[in-house]
Amino acid sequence: MTAPTQAATDEDTATEAAGRRPLLLLLGFGILWLLAAGVLAFASAIQLHTPDFFADCPVFTHGHAVALAESAWVYGWVGNAGLALAVWILVRLAGEPLRAGNVVVIGALAWNAGLFIGLVGIATGDATGLPMLELPRYALPLMLTAYGAVGVSGVLAWAGRRRSIMFASHWYAVAALFLFPWLFSAAQVMLLWVPVRGVLQAVADGWYAQGLWSLWLAPLALAGAYYVVPKITGRLIPSYEAASLGFWCLVFVGPWTGGRHLIGGPVPAWISSIAIVAAVTLLFHYLIVLINLRASFGGKSVALRFIGIGLAAYVLGGVVDAATSMRGVAALVQFTYFDGAQQQLALSGGISLMIYGTLYFAVPRLAGRAWASGSLIRGHLVLAVLGLVLLVVSLAGAGIVQGQALNDAAVAFPRIAERTRSWLMGATAAEGILLLGNLLLAANFVQTVACRRSAAKEAIAS
Amino acid sequence: MKNGLLLFIGLFAALGFSWAGIVLGSNVQLGALAPFFDDGESQSFPQRLPGTAARGQLVYRDLNCASCHTQQVRRPDFGSDQARGWGDRQSVARDYIYQSWVQLGQSRTGPDLTNLRARKPTAPDAEDLMELLYTGQGGMPAYRFLFETRKVTGQVSEHALALTGRLKPASGAEVVPTARTEALVAYLLSLNTTYDYPEAKPAPVGGGDSK
Repeated sequence: MTAPTQAATDEDTATEAAGRRPLLLLLGFGILWLLAAGVLAFASAIQLHTPDFFADCPVFTHGHAVALAESAWVYGWVGNAGLALAVWILVRLAGEPLRAGNVVVIGALAWNAGLFIGLVGIATGDATGLPMLELPRYALPLMLTAYGAVGVSGVLAWAGRRRSIMFASHWYAVAALFLFPWLFSAAQVMLLWVPVRGVLQAVADGWYAQGLWSLWLAPLALAGAYYVVPKITGRLIPSYEAASLGFWCLVFVGPWTGGRHLIGGPVPAWISSIAIVAAVTLLFHYLIVLINLRASFGGKSVALRFIGIGLAAYVLGGVVDAATSMRGVAALVQFTYFDGAQQQLALSGGISLMIYGTLYFAVPRLAGRAWASGSLIRGHLVLAVLGLVLLVVSLAGAGIVQGQALNDAAVAFPRIAERTRSWLMGATAAEGILLLGNLLLAANFVQTVACRRSAAKEAIAS
Repeated sequence: MKNGLLLFIGLFAALGFSWAGIVLGSNVQLGALAPFFDDGESQSFPQRLPGTAARGQLVYRDLNCASCHTQQVRRPDFGSDQARGWGDRQSVARDYIYQSWVQLGQSRTGPDLTNLRARKPTAPDAEDLMELLYTGQGGMPAYRFLFETRKVTGQVSEHALALTGRLKPASGAEVVPTARTEALVAYLLSLNTTYDYPEAKPAPVGGGDSK
């Protein structure tokens, strides 16, 4: 219990001051969207076992709630908080204050305005029906421009770094920062502005969804983990020479796993075959990350615990991904809730937990003040882990029950709904627990940031 | 790694390779896929959606029906798709060439809809679908907002739902589908891919027992 609740004394706080306002703003937006995504995920989980919940409200039908929750989580939570932390790391590694802070503020406001427009669009019936790209196209150009504005500070920090050497956290942060705009614009052109024909849409969306995972979400989380773990433990990363192999493995092989959801579907078989090979090859990346960051297991600091459990979920998610891409396993779990279990393990587990760890490490340094409450952090850790385990177990259980029933043509759909009902209630409880944990984070964040401001005012007054 | 330029080139190469391989590669293979002209029937397949059904497809997309329903039949030895009467052959890329927004779906919380009009043993008709949308069943929610309850003026509308029991509207009132619902149901009833292609012929039922 040392690092996260204490303010920075080791690094120059003047360096942090320039990044304080813009980056805390991004983090605040991120936490706000995390709560919104939590409420929506909770509602959509209820709808799975109680279908009439909000069914009469056209804005929150199950299809809309799912798309809203996913978009708010990906583009709201990770798009703000993950990006803020990546920029913060690049700035710290550069050893210079954040530059173009005002541009970041404008970018942050525009990004969130664009996202808000997009979410309203989904709710009013403009969802695209494309996994990971549900936002309607009219919201996207604004978001793309805004992303550029936020990213400028990261680029300046990277280009203006004092020493030319680059660390693992550099690679991951730079990869996420630079590749997202290309991925995002390529996807919206191919899928929404000049859509490709027929099933090629599903292929292109698979490529985008997987690219978003391996070139943006995972690198953002890993940039933080690779930065924070050696900082807290005070030790070098073990087997560091392998880290670059792990990085290139993720970047080169990751996007090729895009066809794994299309197994048995109306697309050329080579797409899913390559995806299977890629998903197995990617295990090499997970192994290296595990070896590199193993110091996070059994750490005493809460930030390190978040990252350690996040790392375990990340690696396990990769293993499950490789296993379910096998045709024999896919025959049981394809199109079931098991997909959701794998996704939640990777997203709410791997990505979120690693980002929480980095966030708990970064905010005291950014705000120049210790976290308002240490017990709220511990409470968040307990709830986040409890919720995650319950969520993944319930969805996996529901998925296996559902998969077995689906494969038996004698079982009618209303029967399947009955059989999975109790498992799905477990998932609802889990979503509630996760939401509660995130409320603790929000309360702590608001207290910490707001108190800093009033303390600063007192200092000026006296 | 010290060389920033090398990192850059590597990153873009990674993105470019995967894009060229997956997206461009499949586009080269399937991008020019043409409809198949069946000499026996003097018609080409697949057929374009009629106007109302094409509008209905947009309603399907608006409501994100694909979050619970797939539109892809897998081959008979992969799952129970054929046994459930969803289709006698695997869906192939050619089935989708005229769809502006392909809704393959990734979840089967509800049944597959690829061949709803030709579902075996009995396919639902418009009345069944209207009633299902209004009342819900099993895991399917009741989407009342797709309907309008209004006072009967003159004769009862021919589109009014024939509801019984608890759901029966008060006397002098009727439940009618909105225009969007009519389009959605027209679309659902247009879902049918029971024609043969050279690359996709129906698999014999039960393995060896071919016709």
